Amino acid sequence: MFHQTPTRSVTLAIVLAGLVAYATFGGFFAREIVIEIAILAILAISLDFVAGFGGMVSLFHGAVMGLSAYGYSVLTAKFGIHPIPAAFAGIFMAATFGAAVAAIASRTSGIFFIMATLAFGQMLYTVIFKSRWLGGDDGMGGIPRFDASWIGLDFNDSLQFAIFAVFGIAVCYGVAALLLRSAFGRTMCGIHGNEPRMRALGVSTWKHKTAAFAISSAIAGIAGIFAAQHTQYISPELLFWTVSGEVLIVVILGGLGTLVGPVLGAAVFVLLKHEVGNYTNHWHIVIGLLLIVTVMAGGRGIYGQLEHWLAGKYAKAREGLNA
Amino acid sequence: MLEVRNLCKSFGGLEVTKNVSFALEPGERRVILGPNGAGKTTLFNLLVGELLPSSGDILIDGASITGLSVDQRALAGMSRSYQKNNLFEDLTVRENLALAASAGLSKTRWLARDSFHDPEVRSIVQDVAQQVAITDILDAPVHSASYGNRRQLEVGLALATRPKILLMDEPTSGVGPGMISAFNQLISGLPRELTVVIIEHDLDLAFDVADRITVLNYGDVVFEGTPAETRGNQIVRDIYLGDWQADA
Repeated sequence: MFHQTPTRSVTLAIVLAGLVAYATFGGFFAREIVIEIAILAILAISLDFVAGFGGMVSLFHGAVMGLSAYGYSVLTAKFGIHPIPAAFAGIFMAATFGAAVAAIASRTSGIFFIMATLAFGQMLYTVIFKSRWLGGDDGMGGIPRFDASWIGLDFNDSLQFAIFAVFGIAVCYGVAALLLRSAFGRTMCGIHGNEPRMRALGVSTWKHKTAAFAISSAIAGIAGIFAAQHTQYISPELLFWTVSGEVLIVVILGGLGTLVGPVLGAAVFVLLKHEVGNYTNHWHIVIGLLLIVTVMAGGRGIYGQLEHWLAGKYAKAREGLNA
Repeated sequence: MLEVRNLCKSFGGLEVTKNVSFALEPGERRVILGPNGAGKTTLFNLLVGELLPSSGDILIDGASITGLSVDQRALAGMSRSYQKNNLFEDLTVRENLALAASAGLSKTRWLARDSFHDPEVRSIVQDVAQQVAITDILDAPVHSASYGNRRQLEVGLALATRPKILLMDEPTSGVGPGMISAFNQLISGLPRELTVVIIEHDLDLAFDVADRITVLNYGDVVFEGTPAETRGNQIVRDIYLGDWQADA
């Protein structure tokens, strides 16, 4: 069951403030890194929503993000549609695809569910990879960013776009947290805990899981819109299953089922990648070692471990008071 | 209220439910007796839709529910507790009851409002917790609760959906004499309009709470009658004294 504890709020605030400060004072490359973190963090929030709280681990969130990015890019770059409705259309396409896959995959569970999502994600990747009209493996360029001049902002400015992306994390986190605390989210956690019993209590668990995936995919779609606008160029690589695998690593590294953990995980992952990448191309080794350490330490992830440690301290302090 | 017509279920060549028929009046307390392997739990699984019958029909208020899924039957007013505790282990007792109450009220799809803070859900949680006597452990996680408490919660979950028909599969399984009498009081205290079907091994409890008793053996209904009739019945005595033979 999800609780927005003070520790979570404080952690989120620190991470977001840190990103804003880094973007503001770190120069152009820092802003690029912050945007990369934001895209990964939003995608990680969407995955944690279904994997951490609904117990449905997926390997197609990259494909969902990519679909939304392609939807947005085709509508704006090829058809000249205004970016705002194009973004909504891209997110809607992601949600529809996610719901359709979940409607089929929800009939299975565990490893079969993961494999089903992987298969559908790879199918989508292949379709886009083979499509000459979509640019095939060359990708597509000429993608516009939002025009925010009507509120006096210029998203072609790297700092303003970076702060907009951090704002995107906050909004997506807020939406996910609100949904997890709603009747819908409570029920999803119940299904995770004991699906047969939930059905016996009168919940159509299949429909509920499908709806949960639609929501999660819509959030992944938001990440896709940012991804398309960030580089203003997209390629099928965005949909490849390793992107889904990477975000799953980020969620586990940060703390599965904590919602704020994946945001922290995204920041750690991207920063390590760039910092270690300055010295060696083998930055995956460092991430790998860190992942092994967090998993061996109890599998709670970096944030989960912090929460666990604080809970222990709190219990000790209370014992001390009672003694 | 609840009617079963010629219900049959086979697993391969093994017939576990043979042509079972019975009808329950609204508010009736029906106890199902029978030795191990008589097909009592299978009958419950058929009633709630966890198993599909090979043939036969199940009706609520005259309307067939045989084609409905488990969740649809629950929404039609049927609720069951399990012989083996089937709880939300990682959640607190309160969260367990709130999930059941929200499901019973169909308050599971709100996107912005928290069902756990809904006044109706909260009042059901309080009422049911009192009914099954677990108010003192409401905020404890289920996995830390005692076996007896979990047994009470098991029945509490079934009650919290506010069913029309309550099916209880051996509520007293594995608990001591003190708790058996507590369950006796609990069942006697249930609202009279609630139709209750109980699978029970404790004969004293069965005779105490039942309006009518159905005895199953090898999937067959071998006897149906009032508790008084059941006490004097030779077949029932034979089954419970252990020298019953199917072809006797």
